[in-house]
Amino acid sequence: MAAPSKTVQDGRTGIVGRFDAFIGEDNSIKHALGVYGALTLYFIWFLVPILWLALSTIKPGSIIQADELIIIPSIEQITFANYEMVLTNPQFQTMFFNSIVISVSTTILTLIAGVLGAYSLSRFSYPGRKSLLIAFMATKMLPPALILIPFFIMMYTLNLVNSYTGIILAHCVRALPLALWLLKGFFDDIPEALDEAARIDGCSHLKVLYHVIVPLAKPGIAVAAFYTFVTSWNDFLFVSILSQGDSTRTLPFGLYLFQSANTVNWGATLTAATLTAIPSIVFFALVQKYIVKGLASGGMHGS
Amino acid sequence: MATPHKEQPRLQQLRQFVIEAKWFTQETWIGIGLVVPATLMMTVIIVYPTVRAIWISFHSRSFLQLDQVQWVGLANYQQLLEDPVFSQALLQTVFLTVGAVVTMYLLGLGLALLLKENLPGLGPLRSISMVSWVIPPVVIVIIWSWMLEADYGLVNLISQMFGGPNRSWFGTQAWALPLVTMLRVWKDTPFVAIALMASMQSIPEEYYEAAEIDGAGRLQKFRHITLPNIAYISMIMIVIETIAAFNSFQMIYIATGGGPVNRTEVLGTYVYQQAFQEYALGYASAVGTVMLVLLTIFTVVYIKLEDTE
Repeated sequence: MAAPSKTVQDGRTGIVGRFDAFIGEDNSIKHALGVYGALTLYFIWFLVPILWLALSTIKPGSIIQADELIIIPSIEQITFANYEMVLTNPQFQTMFFNSIVISVSTTILTLIAGVLGAYSLSRFSYPGRKSLLIAFMATKMLPPALILIPFFIMMYTLNLVNSYTGIILAHCVRALPLALWLLKGFFDDIPEALDEAARIDGCSHLKVLYHVIVPLAKPGIAVAAFYTFVTSWNDFLFVSILSQGDSTRTLPFGLYLFQSANTVNWGATLTAATLTAIPSIVFFALVQKYIVKGLASGGMHGS
Repeated sequence: MATPHKEQPRLQQLRQFVIEAKWFTQETWIGIGLVVPATLMMTVIIVYPTVRAIWISFHSRSFLQLDQVQWVGLANYQQLLEDPVFSQALLQTVFLTVGAVVTMYLLGLGLALLLKENLPGLGPLRSISMVSWVIPPVVIVIIWSWMLEADYGLVNLISQMFGGPNRSWFGTQAWALPLVTMLRVWKDTPFVAIALMASMQSIPEEYYEAAEIDGAGRLQKFRHITLPNIAYISMIMIVIETIAAFNSFQMIYIATGGGPVNRTEVLGTYVYQQAFQEYALGYASAVGTVMLVLLTIFTVVYIKLEDTE
């Protein structure tokens, strides 16, 4: 992921060494300061809102809604009351549970269909293979708002409104095209000689997939899982239509309802928002080094 | 024993051919079989509803009485032409799309150039910069509503310290659309930046070394080496982000609901509002079909681009 460090060549390591190497090469401390300066400007716009959100969750209501600027509350003022209130709220617990069930099921289902499909698209040749690959990607471009109308009617006729099944299916299909492309890209990188050897030894295709391809493509599968999980965890559109009550409501839609109903209690809203963002961020942290590879190989397009 | 000596190889050849053909068809069927689950899901949940939605757009239909369907031909489309909110939404969608994509690309390019520098501390920044891309859109809207909240939002607190205005920014007609555009830029710029950076890092170092020997400066190296080498990924990013911005729905719906006074109404929110608040399914589908037609142009460009790879 990182550019090959120039320090390797001259044997200097560590921050000071890297800095030296950079300065030595370009003879310009001005340039380095320019880079840091520009980055600072960008990160103010980018990180201050996130930090401000995180800081606000440990402030008592009196500070949150004070009309003077208190950036960091004093030790005595720091409170975890917001967290306690949100985490012990049964509605929040139900929504968290629903979100987990829906996102995990979506991820498993998408990965099964995706791995099988990507193996087929990567290793077999049959008429229509290429058109299929293009068609999968093209569906990513359809306006979701348009699909939603007949999809809702379909779910309504099948009695699947307000069920996990409807939401999970919608989420799977939203994530599947990209997961397929991504997995195919990673599978293509595995030398075909490896699975041919396994085939000659008498392995069936599923065995090859399970014992050869999947273990070697783990990073790709991790990225596909991450992308699918986040698509499902973050979705608002489908849940807002298909979920008609507490039993299937997930966090994003619940947050929206909570926010529009309680413009007064910012402490709870911000804390619930922070807790909603955490699973995606944690998952991202786990797979981030593979994501750049996925992006570079062209598989990660579209969001 | 009495079998003629000559016929044996021919028979063997035939047998070999049959085995191979059998093996080949069997292989093909396994290949097709493996892709069936994915294809089936896509067909049932995406392709069929799309066709169905276009069909619905020629009908008058309401959520209130789902079984009452009436063929109205092009009436819904005619109504679109006379609907001032639709033309406003279309115009605002174009403004949002162009504004978001141009800003996102330029900022992303700048950020990629900064982050690819080999300076201490930039490694972690590369990862941290991606956080906004991962955060749920609802949370992004809450963060910014909180930042821009009248009286005690950070922006207003700082603005007041310098004698500036204190207002509810999302509710201000002139600011609402630029602000929802900014939300998109804030969310997706890091994604564009990291993609461009990944592409920049795959440019062989020798190109730059050769250029340096020829006496090229930073700007020249950027123009003649970096830019041509990231042209392909740039095009892909621009097309993807254009499609995504054109389909914008959730952040706007949550932030402003299309208001104030339709000032942030875009095609995505208009479809949703017509379908699920006015229950005008036929009309909503007609708006969606117009989106589909416009998007098809970009989709074709995108497929052409991906195909050359």
